[in-house]
Amino acid sequence: MEISLNQIKKNSFKSLIVVLLAFIIVLPIIALFVVSIGFDTTNFFYFADYLLLDYTLSTLYLLGLTIFFSFLFGIVPAWFISTSKFKGRRLYDLLLYLPLAIPTYIMAFSYGDILSFSGPFQSFVRDFIPSLTTLVNQDYLQIEVLSILLSFSLYPYLYAACRISFTLIGNNYINLSKNLGLNELKTFFKIGIPLSLPAIFSAIFLISMEVLNEYGAVSYFGINTYTSGIFRAWGSMADMETASLLAILLFLVVCFFFFIERWITNRYNYSFKSNSDLSPNFKNSSKKLILIHITSLIIIFAAFVIPILYMVNNIFVDFDNIDFFDVFKLSKNTIFISFIASILIILVVLFIQYVKRISNSKVLNVVGEIISLTYALPGAVIGISIILLFAPINDSLGFLLIGSIPVLVYAYFIRYMAVAVSPILTSFKKYPKKLDDAGKSIGLKPFQFFRKIFVPLNKNAIIIAFCICFVDIMKDLPLTLILRPFNFDTLATQTYEYAIEEMITKSSIYSLTIIIFGIILLSILSIKQSKK
Amino acid sequence: MFLKIKNLEKHYQKEKPLIKSLDFNVIKGDIVSFIGESGSGKTTFLRCLAGLEDINDGSIELNKVVLNSSKIFIESHKRKIGFVFQDYPLFPHLNVIDNITFNLDSNFKNKVSGILELTGLTDLTKRFPHELSGGEQQRVSIARAIIREPDLLLLDEPFSNLDSSIKLQIKNEIYNIIKTSGITTILVTHDIKESFSIADKILIFKAGVLQQYDEPFKIYCNPSNCYCAKALGDLNMINIASKIYYLRPENIRIVNNSNYKGIVNKCSFVGKEFQINASFFEENWILFSKNSFKAGCEIYISFNDNDLIQFDSNCDNYFTQPTREQ
Repeated sequence: MEISLNQIKKNSFKSLIVVLLAFIIVLPIIALFVVSIGFDTTNFFYFADYLLLDYTLSTLYLLGLTIFFSFLFGIVPAWFISTSKFKGRRLYDLLLYLPLAIPTYIMAFSYGDILSFSGPFQSFVRDFIPSLTTLVNQDYLQIEVLSILLSFSLYPYLYAACRISFTLIGNNYINLSKNLGLNELKTFFKIGIPLSLPAIFSAIFLISMEVLNEYGAVSYFGINTYTSGIFRAWGSMADMETASLLAILLFLVVCFFFFIERWITNRYNYSFKSNSDLSPNFKNSSKKLILIHITSLIIIFAAFVIPILYMVNNIFVDFDNIDFFDVFKLSKNTIFISFIASILIILVVLFIQYVKRISNSKVLNVVGEIISLTYALPGAVIGISIILLFAPINDSLGFLLIGSIPVLVYAYFIRYMAVAVSPILTSFKKYPKKLDDAGKSIGLKPFQFFRKIFVPLNKNAIIIAFCICFVDIMKDLPLTLILRPFNFDTLATQTYEYAIEEMITKSSIYSLTIIIFGIILLSILSIKQSKK
Repeated sequence: MFLKIKNLEKHYQKEKPLIKSLDFNVIKGDIVSFIGESGSGKTTFLRCLAGLEDINDGSIELNKVVLNSSKIFIESHKRKIGFVFQDYPLFPHLNVIDNITFNLDSNFKNKVSGILELTGLTDLTKRFPHELSGGEQQRVSIARAIIREPDLLLLDEPFSNLDSSIKLQIKNEIYNIIKTSGITTILVTHDIKESFSIADKILIFKAGVLQQYDEPFKIYCNPSNCYCAKALGDLNMINIASKIYYLRPENIRIVNNSNYKGIVNKCSFVGKEFQINASFFEENWILFSKNSFKAGCEIYISFNDNDLIQFDSNCDNYFTQPTREQ
């Protein structure tokens, strides 16, 4: 009895730490609401009367179009790769993931330049197909073009989710549909899509959050979204009060999307037995093979090969002017800050998830929900919240916390923690609670059990979580722009600054460095996932 | 013959054939049980019948139509074959009635109420798969297959995921449904008892080779080789006058005295009687008795000579079909 009481006390202590961590995570959001209560709302209401509708409509329009194009680019190849066997399938599979390594703003900067009057596309048409010159001489910095470019970078979320879902549906249902007389197209619409709805909605939610979070690309294209509004109010107009109230508005929009996603995912979360026969099943006619290759290659070329070639070409053109020392310095900064933040995130997530597992507390489940909401929060909201939280501390201490590395790491910690939760939690759930009981029965204390059994068992998931966090933090722009220390640049901020000054050629080396790091980590991730 | 399988061959790698020269016929309305170990090629054979796999040689003919041969391959949905897959997968996003009528030709729509009644699903039409028990899910799978009035029904391990407590009841229900609808059925199983209780004929399959195809009683009493004999029940080996014979446990009587003496190794209660493991002639035997015996005690047995089973020297080779001498 005494032992179990001690155990309860120890578990309660750990649970208390977890609740405290959750409090630290939501503290800036609490500060955002509390501090905003006393704000002068004159400017905000002026904004609401004259600009809010325009901002809302363009945000929703961009969101809708990006989801539509991501759907188009993500789902069709995912179906072909999951259900058909053909030469080059594995290579396509990897290449279709890789545009995830290209940040949305880099995609937008690159294509913005490629399609400009002096860019390679229009120059080529003028030189070789002069009859089309008038037709292609357009202003491409339009919201519709931006949505396509954003979906080039974001469709891999849908591709990855559908790829897993279509594969897990397996051959049972596909054989059954064949037996019941459905052709492949009908199987796709009547079985593939309905059974993958939860995965599709989760991916659409992630894409929506990325679009709401987007700053670099929308500001380059001059589109008014909530995030660009926050930056404009905070940066250009130095109006922190309006920026904060806009951040609250964006927070509420995100919460609305979050709960909608949760509701839809629960509503359509069918339980079905995934079967062990997951090999591709549909036969390929030559027409279908042509369709598969054309679809996959167009997406791979448009979303990956063309921007990469463009950047490589820029590097060769500008090779003599490249400051390699600066590239190295910024790479070091980027790796340093991404590494520190990712390690911190992984340690905290492991601790929280393990305590959740051993304590069975409902409070900790709520904590889990709070953490998963943080990824939905746009960087601009977190940035503004952190400024509001630390401004009084800055004033009272007399030194700058805002614009310091620890505060930037803290911001990353809040924004990207949820990214690490998913792979670790999924991996934890694979091992039954009996395993914990077995550990107890052979005398292992919880921490020993965690170190000797759980960490080795979940090694792949931990590496995957680390890679995803690292890539996301490395690509981050809004948070870094708001909270980076004075004179501290990362590859992302430097890319943005050159691009916004219309020095796209000069920004290419920084962009390509981010992409190369991203590709390396995504390849590790892909290998680990296939092992898993 | 309603279903004719002629010299069927199936392989994924030529040097490792899964099914070799399979040759048998099925009469209309019969239930044929396909028995074999895991990996023996049973499910592959069903997939060939259903048109989910192409055969490498031979032919499949159903109701006078060649479905598959070296030149012909009729696609799965054109074969008039209903397939109830293992684990009876139901579409989780559809309720019972939508599952049954999924992609159903309008000609069959008027059959729905009759099938629902036959399968006892009339009150469950609005339920989703996760709201059904294992037995109910299985009946929905069967209803979905038979509403299309197939010429042939294929059942892949239909009872493997059911609790033993409801297995017997479900088995009887399925038997009644199939027999009432009169559909020729092939069911694949590795459970011998299932086959005995439901099948008109049993086909024993080992390493891609047909071992024996006959009525259950005949196979049990007259197995074509050791594999078939052992597959259908326990067998005890006895050496009489330098010749090897086999005896089924139920054909052995325990008596007070005889020429055949053995030592009890273990005696365990198995329900209505005791199962005795004993040593006879340096062989381990299994026999049954109404009475219990202590380990180590001596027992005597007798049997009728007619119950002795003898095979030729090729008995253990299941790649050939040895003939029984008796």
